Amino acid sequence: MSADPRLRSRAAAQQQQPTTVPPPPPPPPSESPYPAGLDGTSDVPAAKPAVDPRSSLRFCTVCASNQNRSMEAHLQLALANLPTISFGTGSLVRLPGPSITQPNVYHFNSTTYRQIHQELSQQNAQLYTANGLLNMLGRNLNIKGYPERFQDWVPGKSRLNDHKDDQGAAGTESGVVDVVITCEERCFDAVLEDLHNKGGKLNRPVHVFNVDIRDNHEEALVGGKAILDLALSLNEVAAREREIHGDNGWDRGSGSARDGFDERVPEILATWQGRWPNLPALWSLAWL
Amino acid sequence: MTQILDQLEAARKLALSDGANYPNIIPGVLPIVGANSNANIEVRRWGADFLAEAFASPTWPPEVKESRALGVPESLKEYLEVVQDRAVIKSAILTAATIYPLIYRHTIADPNDSHTWQLMHAIKLNILQRMDAAPSGVRICCVKFLQQVVLTQTPGMVDPRRPDPNDTSLAILPRNHALLPYGNLEAEGHGLLDRMLDIIHGDHSDALLVTAVLNTLGILIQRRPIAANKILQSVLNFNPLKLANSPMTPKNRVIMKSLERTTRALLVNILKRNPENPHNGRIQQYLERMHRMRLDVFDESSRKRPAPAEPTDGLDAAKRQRLRANVPPAPTTVPVSAPPPATTLPPGPVTHRQLFTLTPDAGAAGFDVQAFTDPEQLVNLTVRLLQSVDESQLGKAINVVRSRYLNLTTTASGAPAASAPPPAPQPVVDDEEDYEPDFEPEDAEQVANSLDSLPPTDTLEPPSTSLAPYKLPEAPPLTEQEVRQYGEVSVRNAFGMLGSIDEKDKGKPTKVGFNRLAGSDYGRDSWITILSRLATRTSAGLDDPDEGVKDEFAVKNIKGNFSISDAVRDGLYTYIMYDWRKRIDIAISWLTEEWYNDNLLRHSAKIATKAGSLNGNTPSGIPATKGNYERCALRLIDGMLPFVEHTDKSLLRFISELPKLDHDILARLIKMSEDPERIDLSCKVLQYLHMFRPPVRSLVSDILLELWKVNHRARPSAGKLLKHYRPDVTLEDTNGASAGDGGEVKVEHTNGVIQQAS
Repeated sequence: MSADPRLRSRAAAQQQQPTTVPPPPPPPPSESPYPAGLDGTSDVPAAKPAVDPRSSLRFCTVCASNQNRSMEAHLQLALANLPTISFGTGSLVRLPGPSITQPNVYHFNSTTYRQIHQELSQQNAQLYTANGLLNMLGRNLNIKGYPERFQDWVPGKSRLNDHKDDQGAAGTESGVVDVVITCEERCFDAVLEDLHNKGGKLNRPVHVFNVDIRDNHEEALVGGKAILDLALSLNEVAAREREIHGDNGWDRGSGSARDGFDERVPEILATWQGRWPNLPALWSLAWL
Repeated sequence: MTQILDQLEAARKLALSDGANYPNIIPGVLPIVGANSNANIEVRRWGADFLAEAFASPTWPPEVKESRALGVPESLKEYLEVVQDRAVIKSAILTAATIYPLIYRHTIADPNDSHTWQLMHAIKLNILQRMDAAPSGVRICCVKFLQQVVLTQTPGMVDPRRPDPNDTSLAILPRNHALLPYGNLEAEGHGLLDRMLDIIHGDHSDALLVTAVLNTLGILIQRRPIAANKILQSVLNFNPLKLANSPMTPKNRVIMKSLERTTRALLVNILKRNPENPHNGRIQQYLERMHRMRLDVFDESSRKRPAPAEPTDGLDAAKRQRLRANVPPAPTTVPVSAPPPATTLPPGPVTHRQLFTLTPDAGAAGFDVQAFTDPEQLVNLTVRLLQSVDESQLGKAINVVRSRYLNLTTTASGAPAASAPPPAPQPVVDDEEDYEPDFEPEDAEQVANSLDSLPPTDTLEPPSTSLAPYKLPEAPPLTEQEVRQYGEVSVRNAFGMLGSIDEKDKGKPTKVGFNRLAGSDYGRDSWITILSRLATRTSAGLDDPDEGVKDEFAVKNIKGNFSISDAVRDGLYTYIMYDWRKRIDIAISWLTEEWYNDNLLRHSAKIATKAGSLNGNTPSGIPATKGNYERCALRLIDGMLPFVEHTDKSLLRFISELPKLDHDILARLIKMSEDPERIDLSCKVLQYLHMFRPPVRSLVSDILLELWKVNHRARPSAGKLLKHYRPDVTLEDTNGASAGDGGEVKVEHTNGVIQQAS
């Protein structure tokens, strides 16, 4: 995604005459619920099991800047009707700039995707179209308003007012999640560490996963599919546990027969890892 | 029922939209979902979830929560004691964890309300009982409850002058409280902490529980300095890779990695939070150790590759046969312990094979001799086996076969004779299927017969189905010149590789373990070893012994096909000289190889000479073999000397590490001393050698003497040394200013006679 330094003069030349290249308007909200993916393929999921957001597990995807990987995963989970929110763990939102030493930097929680989109398309529409940034931002601004920082998140604070139009918002109103999926070991560490700082005041268990995804559009797409696969596997087991209830001996069995959702998570992850051997995974049970 | 749930959900939305609504909503909801409501399971689940969510919510103040919490314990108690649903129980335990500090505060403020505290106490007992037996999904909730109890029942407060109003701890409990005995609560807090810490040292296959505990410890360390020490000790003794010894299933892999990572996050959090912590050094050490261990456990690159997945059973017939063929001694030893059982033949017509088969082992009986495609091999094997046949065993075996045969002939007397041919004279080759090493030939004559009849190997044809091997057309032979040319190119390539490795190797730590071999890691050192051995060993002993020694240090004019060694030597020489100060070690290892090889050659030459003299044919050149070591060493020294500066300690190192020193080599130092600047250096070298290489002491003093004689500028330093080394020599400096041979040396003998030693 880094810009070719040889093109810098060309980029500068274009900046001087912004009138010749009008910034393309942000893409309209996609009419199909399944917009075309970054690689041009249509991401229509094949006959997903119906998920009821009210009883489903609630997910949270995390990457460094809450732009590429976590947002791709956010979209895919939201399209599968899973309640999803997403965050970044970096100190600032960093996007590639005209050169490797000049990244575009924005603040979390205040700069909206729309603003970033506008700014970049004014800066150099051609460059940022070529490296896919504008496309990505256009996708993101249809998912939610602005990038959020994990460390600034107050678990348990209602999202009913601020985020009710986000994709995947249904089910996340109470501001708590059951599963956090990070996209990089650094983020996994940051999440675990920040949860220590938050102190687990909610007394709520949360499964934190890491799925190592390289930070580019293609890998993010693949990683998003892998995360969706993981989320659906988890949700399926959790839903099954909810069905078993009443006096049918839920704690009289022995061994794996009485294993519920929480106990089976390492197993689910190991099986998932078998399906996605190129995305090394980690997991921990932490507290919100 | 859905109607009730919808109403409840609407109430929840109301509370979510504004936390201030919780105090009003909770009393309204409790009668529907709580104790004595007889609500159905879905409603109770909703209720338990809602209570957990409501009291955990940060959107309403703890003081209000405290008053609202009073109505909850009764419902929780019922959830825990009556409702048999895991979701309800989990939520109930988590709610209990949240309201425990609230109830505790309330009880401190109102010592007369014993009812609420007793309810809470009953809940606590119920949860503690589940701690050991419940499924881990429930136990993690219990762990969280324990954490809250420990947090509440240990003294907090870092600074008593600045009490934190939000921190509910033992510090706010008056010592003389009527309901809450301080000592008991404190002891219980410590006991429960121990119980939590025991979990992480227990069974790691339950990673859920272990990571859950690890992730509760952060806040305890942070808020309870009094317990922090104990917790930290325990964590530092924790081994997240305990499962490394159990089978490496995908699940165990994930668990181990996750445990390690979770521990790391906890410790890093402690480090960051309190940079002055006295334990930080130990934490650092622990983190580094874990990092290394993790590399050891998970790094496949440093491991041997696993055994190849081969079919062990029957899938690959060719392989199995070959395996058998390689175990010839087995049949000779087995019968000693187990005499051949006189197995009876099955009724009915029998084949030759059944008649002769004595071993009950189906594997041995089914062995196909045709696996031996090479008759030579078979002959060898047969002769060996015959030599080791036990005679009594053989006799017994013959008797068994004989009795079988007699039985057959008597029972089948009516049958045509052809169906039962006489077994004894059967040559072995005609009966390949019956190949049974022990019982095969009956007597010496038959052995001879069988051996005679072996050569016509038509019967041993390889299976005709196999494809003929494809052969590449043979390449035209290389001319001598081409051979040399390509040889040089490959040598140059090898050195080129060395150069590129040099670049890469910088700063890269070498990992040397037990697996280290001279050339195992393809680093610089191993290439040097390979090259110097190529130079010394490859063509060693192939030289024409009569060729004699050529012009001493010249390499160029050695003709012949063995110039590969010298090409490599040339390469090594250039490589070293390119940066000789840094490549002294290479020079030493090369010269050591040379010296070693010379010794080997000399040794074998000695043996050969002995043998040769017995034959009365003494080869002329061998004793005179001068070897390559000296030639190469002198060449290197001569190459270096012009560049040696008077402060160069590397020369000292080089000379002292040479495997063998002789007069020629040391005489180079005299030559060097012609430069007045470098006299001191050569004296230093000689002094060093005298001190640390006793075997060359006399050689050193000889050289010094020579130096003293030929170089008058060197006299002061050389004389000083000589005075110590050769006190028997008197040095007479007749005329310090006179050049050259002005001095006289006299050797004093014990009898006092003074000899002219020139």
